[in-house]
Amino acid sequence: MQPTALAAGSSSTVVATPLRRLAVASTTTCAKEASDYGQCIVATYADVHKDTCKAEFDKFGACLRQTLKRR
Amino acid sequence: MLATRSRLPPLRSLASLSPSQINTATRSPLQVFDRHAKCLQKDRAAARDGGNRSRTVDYVRDDVANRMIERFRDIKRNFSSVLDLGSGSGHFAKLLESDQTKKVTMLDLSKLSLERDPDAEFEVQVERLVLDEEKLLDMIPRNSQEAIVSCLSLHWVNDLPGVLVQIKEALKPDGVFMGAILGGDTLFELRTSLQLAEVEREGGISPHVSPMADPRDMSNLMSRAGFTLLTVDVDEVSVRYPTMWELLDDLRDMGENNAIIGRRHLLHRDTLAAASAIYKELHGQEDGTVPATFQVIYLIGWKPAPQQPKPLERGSGKTSLKDALE
Repeated sequence: MQPTALAAGSSSTVVATPLRRLAVASTTTCAKEASDYGQCIVATYADVHKDTCKAEFDKFGACLRQTLKRR
Repeated sequence: MLATRSRLPPLRSLASLSPSQINTATRSPLQVFDRHAKCLQKDRAAARDGGNRSRTVDYVRDDVANRMIERFRDIKRNFSSVLDLGSGSGHFAKLLESDQTKKVTMLDLSKLSLERDPDAEFEVQVERLVLDEEKLLDMIPRNSQEAIVSCLSLHWVNDLPGVLVQIKEALKPDGVFMGAILGGDTLFELRTSLQLAEVEREGGISPHVSPMADPRDMSNLMSRAGFTLLTVDVDEVSVRYPTMWELLDDLRDMGENNAIIGRRHLLHRDTLAAASAIYKELHGQEDGTVPATFQVIYLIGWKPAPQQPKPLERGSGKTSLKDALE
């Protein structure tokens, strides 16, 4: 266990703009929920309308909010 | 009057890029892009981090410039001067060689991106000119140019047929125009992901990726502008990114942000997150990266001149093709 400055700096502390944090949250922290939501869209993408995949997005969104809340 | 005076103007949550002098209700249908916003976006991209961010994302333009210089070298002719429309920092101009070209005039809307790189990096003599490509004939006299090139800038031009006519007018007879322009399949992954995300999350769509020229239309546009001996071909550059977010960052650093008139200045973060998830599931590769396609249309056209080779009259052929082939 060697917490180097590089490992600590490169992930989130240096580039912690809100958008960057959303990017990390949506692709890394909540990757599972993102993938579930994406697969729901891909399964129905010829006939997508508002809230087609609401259930999946609610889980994804909850994970995002949870991640972005704690610092 | 008194009541309104005491009321404060509504707070803006983010700075809109353009004071947008263009009234969306009265503009002509040919006005699609906000050129003022585009100029600011390019200036900012070139100035960010002393130009280093912009240099990092030169890969698309440099690659296309490389493919274009090959076509340019194939023209067996020497030029005393070449005009580079929308040159940016000189992606194409840097590749010109002094045995074929004496001088290049770089012309761009954005002063900062034009002056990003010093003269030392060019092999030929350089002149820089800040001018809107849409107003080419304001500064460039008619019948004055031996060759005009344009590498990935004409996709931000409002009136493409009009600009092609101006290019033809600025050329001397038998002058050549060579261009690379982004085609309609460019960034289709991003376009579809954002559309699906907006429809599913918000129930409507708004343009985030520009409309771009269809390759099939380009040869018609070129001949309508009066060019002869046309060559039009299509090529694709595909770039892989870790996620959609890096693509968005790089597009911004290229100065290729959205500049459609009447665009939404804000994308809800739920929609962005949804688009990122859809992008990955719909277009993602097996190695975990996401691809972005840049479709490039290469154009070559010549201004007509009496001494140019022309097709013979219809029916004037004396040799039968059947005899020649047998």
